[in-house]
Amino acid sequence: MENIIELAGVKKSFGTLEVLKDINLVVKKGENVVVVGKSGQGKSVTIKCIAGMIAPDAGSIKVFDDEVTDMDEDALRALRVRMGFLFQSGALYDSMTVRENLAFPLRRVLKMKDEQEIEARSVEVLEAVGLSGAIDKMPSDLSGGMRKRMGLARTIIVKPEIMLYDEPTTGLDTITSKEISALICSIKEKYKTTSIIITHDMACAKITADRIIIINDGICIANGTYGELESSADKLVSAFFN
Amino acid sequence: MRQCYFVGYRTAGIVMLTGFILGFVLTLQSLPTLQQFGAQTFVPAMVSVSVIREIGPVITALICAGKIASGIGAELGSMKVSEQIDAMEVSGANPMQYLVVTRILACLLMIPLLTIVADGMAFLGGFAGINIKGGMSSILYFRKAFGGLSFTDLYPAIIKTFFFGFIIGFVGCYKGFNSNKGTESVGLAANSAVVVASIGIIIVDAVAVQITSSLVYN
Repeated sequence: MENIIELAGVKKSFGTLEVLKDINLVVKKGENVVVVGKSGQGKSVTIKCIAGMIAPDAGSIKVFDDEVTDMDEDALRALRVRMGFLFQSGALYDSMTVRENLAFPLRRVLKMKDEQEIEARSVEVLEAVGLSGAIDKMPSDLSGGMRKRMGLARTIIVKPEIMLYDEPTTGLDTITSKEISALICSIKEKYKTTSIIITHDMACAKITADRIIIINDGICIANGTYGELESSADKLVSAFFN
Repeated sequence: MRQCYFVGYRTAGIVMLTGFILGFVLTLQSLPTLQQFGAQTFVPAMVSVSVIREIGPVITALICAGKIASGIGAELGSMKVSEQIDAMEVSGANPMQYLVVTRILACLLMIPLLTIVADGMAFLGGFAGINIKGGMSSILYFRKAFGGLSFTDLYPAIIKTFFFGFIIGFVGCYKGFNSNKGTESVGLAANSAVVVASIGIIIVDAVAVQITSSLVYN
């Protein structure tokens, strides 16, 4: 399978704080890679570097074989159209209804004009995330789980090839977390996406991961399937599973 | 259109009220002095020139700095805090175009219109003021008020309102867009947007008066 995302020797510091020391990872087409690590270890910074939101200090980031660090704003924008990013908070546009939130990327990014098609796609993705009745609600009327689903709907409406999930189950109860995890799997199946999922939630990792990468102190310390890492002799690795 | 509604329609009430009171107070304050010289018939012209040339544009702009620049600063600041701007950017949309350009254009368009509205209300306020202490017919009042004005009073004032509009929109957007991530930053963005926009308006006004004095009135 072809490599969709490749990171080699990525380093990033904020002032004197060295967050990413040497990140190397490869994500193959159609894979769900879960990145696990303690808080403040640079997991979110890693996916923000992949999306071109943060420029690394050193190293190479290739997405679809194109070097992200060399891209200008136009090239980045073109790349981002092929990429979906689910924020921890959902990052819904709170002055717009659910319908307007969904229509925004279609009108502004894909430049779609056909209102019937916009409506049809909005209804389709809302059904896919189980939020059919919420189309006229404001984001403030939605619960935490619904906001995550809604964020997911807005992301997949443009049919991205890559999905980057930043802690998709944080702050949710166990049942809703499982539902979101199942949703991530169903999105992979339905839209054939390649995904990186940042999480602390090992239950989510177990459900969604084809492969798990553990980041500690700015470097990748482990890489393998859930079963392989769960039975690892390394104390630091096994600590995540106990 | 949506931004024009927020900038214009929602600010029109306070601008109209302020304009009316401005004309009213200006008339009441100047009337006794001019009456001493038997020059009370010059009050409408004095009020109209003062309002059109200086007080109307500046007071309207300062009110809009307080209401609109702070609103834009707070709105964009909270969008930044809640990662909405990041979400827009990472979706491939251009937040600069959608959030900044539309707001600056709305301010550029609406501040001159609000100034005209405030000026009109100040005329009405002046008419109310002059009829509290004595009487003057509306025809005479407005003939005197408009008779005191020339084209050279009008166009420099209108031109500077476009600059005021740009300052209000630009400063509000800049402060909101560049606020730090934290709820306190939203308040700071709103607050500093008002302060910087107000100072900017006063400085631009001072420069505009100098330019107008040397180019138009000489």
